Amino acid sequence: MAEEVQKKWQKEFEVFNNLKKEYHKAVTQKQQLDSQLNENKAVKEELLLLKKDAEVYKLIGPVLVKQDLEEAKQNVAKRLEYISKEIKRSDGNISALENKQEAVHENLNKLKSNLDNLKIAA
Amino acid sequence: MSTISSAPAPGMHQIDLSKLNLHQLAKLKQQLDQELNVFQDSLQTLKMAQGKFVESGESVEKITPESKGKTVLVPLTGSMYVPGTIADTDNVIIDIGTGYYAQKDIEGAKDYFKRKVDFVTEQMEKIQVLGIEKSKVREAICMMMEMKVQAQAQAQKASTS
Repeated sequence: MAEEVQKKWQKEFEVFNNLKKEYHKAVTQKQQLDSQLNENKAVKEELLLLKKDAEVYKLIGPVLVKQDLEEAKQNVAKRLEYISKEIKRSDGNISALENKQEAVHENLNKLKSNLDNLKIAA
Repeated sequence: MSTISSAPAPGMHQIDLSKLNLHQLAKLKQQLDQELNVFQDSLQTLKMAQGKFVESGESVEKITPESKGKTVLVPLTGSMYVPGTIADTDNVIIDIGTGYYAQKDIEGAKDYFKRKVDFVTEQMEKIQVLGIEKSKVREAICMMMEMKVQAQAQAQKASTS
């Protein structure tokens, strides 16, 4: 009886560890997205400060390609939208993982106290 | 005496340090140590960025109308340069991030770098403030740990004497 509980506990523990890894991945991803968002915001502001005839270049590989100012502004705005959406999704993912982690943690505690009780009774 | 009263961010609970046992205190201290390390690294990176912006700003100052037509050495690779002449001393092209480069006049460029330096300095100050607060919490935890260790040692002495 105790062995079964022990096995269950070990399986739950593995689940817990995997969840932890996923959670860390998700958090790192969100941090990356955050920094991209900030960078693009800074670019957007700079583009707004430029005069209409100022030249804007985009780095495509090793080449600086001339871009139209309006096109560049639209491009950056689109990127900002996309990144904001991604951040919202990532946030949702993170809270879901947090909840799952809590549930598994509780399960682990229950199983452990079950195991302890069984050992005492034996 | 044993509660830390730096304003908790929404979502954090106020933890009474005396209720935690030695093991938990040690874990908490470890966590804080890690956070402080992250802060240190961030400060280093920000300092480097600040240095680069300051350097760029100073370089722009050197491009004056008098330097028009002067010869410069232009790097083609890491070890090969070609001689060239400065043609345009009124505009420069600046990297504004995410692969975009913008052309600005000298004044605009100087202003850009000044703004960037100010921005980075501001961020550094924010991190320093956070770092000092975390250090205080860490200090309090260390003190609490010492108290607990002493209390334990005394309890053991009392039970064995």
